[in-house]
Amino acid sequence: MTPDMFYLLVSILFSLGLIGLVSRRNLFIVYMSVELMLSSVNLLLATYSKVLGDANASAMALLMIAVVAAEAALFLAMIIHLYRAKQTIDSDRFDKLGEGRKHA
Amino acid sequence: MLEVSIFAILAMFMIGGSVAMILNKQTIYSAFGFLIAMIGVAGMFALLENRFLALAQIMVSVGAIVVLSMLTILTINAKEESLPHEPNKYKWILLSSVLVAPFTFLLYKTLSAAHRNFAQMETITSKVVGKALFSEWVLPFEIVSILLLAAMLGAIVIARKEEIVKTEEIIKKEENV
Repeated sequence: MTPDMFYLLVSILFSLGLIGLVSRRNLFIVYMSVELMLSSVNLLLATYSKVLGDANASAMALLMIAVVAAEAALFLAMIIHLYRAKQTIDSDRFDKLGEGRKHA
Repeated sequence: MLEVSIFAILAMFMIGGSVAMILNKQTIYSAFGFLIAMIGVAGMFALLENRFLALAQIMVSVGAIVVLSMLTILTINAKEESLPHEPNKYKWILLSSVLVAPFTFLLYKTLSAAHRNFAQMETITSKVVGKALFSEWVLPFEIVSILLLAAMLGAIVIARKEEIVKTEEIIKKEENV
């Protein structure tokens, strides 16, 4: 078992999250892709913690987990709010900022 | 050799779960794929002999975040017509995969240029993490507590807004009567 394997896995997971983020329109899948990207960064921090033999990276990863939890709470509340407003979870339907573009 | 086999199985679960998450049309099946990926991350933490992070990952990500997202998905209970209509889904995924692939390669090259061997060290226990967390990382720790409080309040306010409007309408109606 070498760190290289973990680096490869982290790269693949981050890219899968990025692919899900840009190619899907379901708000929940966008949310889960963001979570996946954050988790892959967490895994990288844990790998560095083992590589360098240092607990500081673990402390950073722990703080990251707390940030991920805060992000989850806000994102899910936003999804519920958006669903109540338009009865859809299609991210393309929430284009209020781009409305002027249609008339231009 | 055993470690490599465990790593391979966990990595297969994680990548399979993530791909299932991206490809599924029904949101709840995506959430199950996401759940498998999160359990895989916890297993990877355990494989890195990082007990505390493995436990935290199981408790927070699997126990709280995934369950919360599943509950939200079930609460919203989006009908077939509320789901986004994505006829070119596979084309978009293929295109973005092709576009992201060089980035993946670059990321891997950059990361693997740093260190190629694990340090000889003890298992990272909660004692070591606790010492680091409450000596060098105590200010970020406090900031995170404020962040969590703000996120909690924000989540309540955002999700409750509709209810407040409704109660105001009810009060107005009662006043009119």
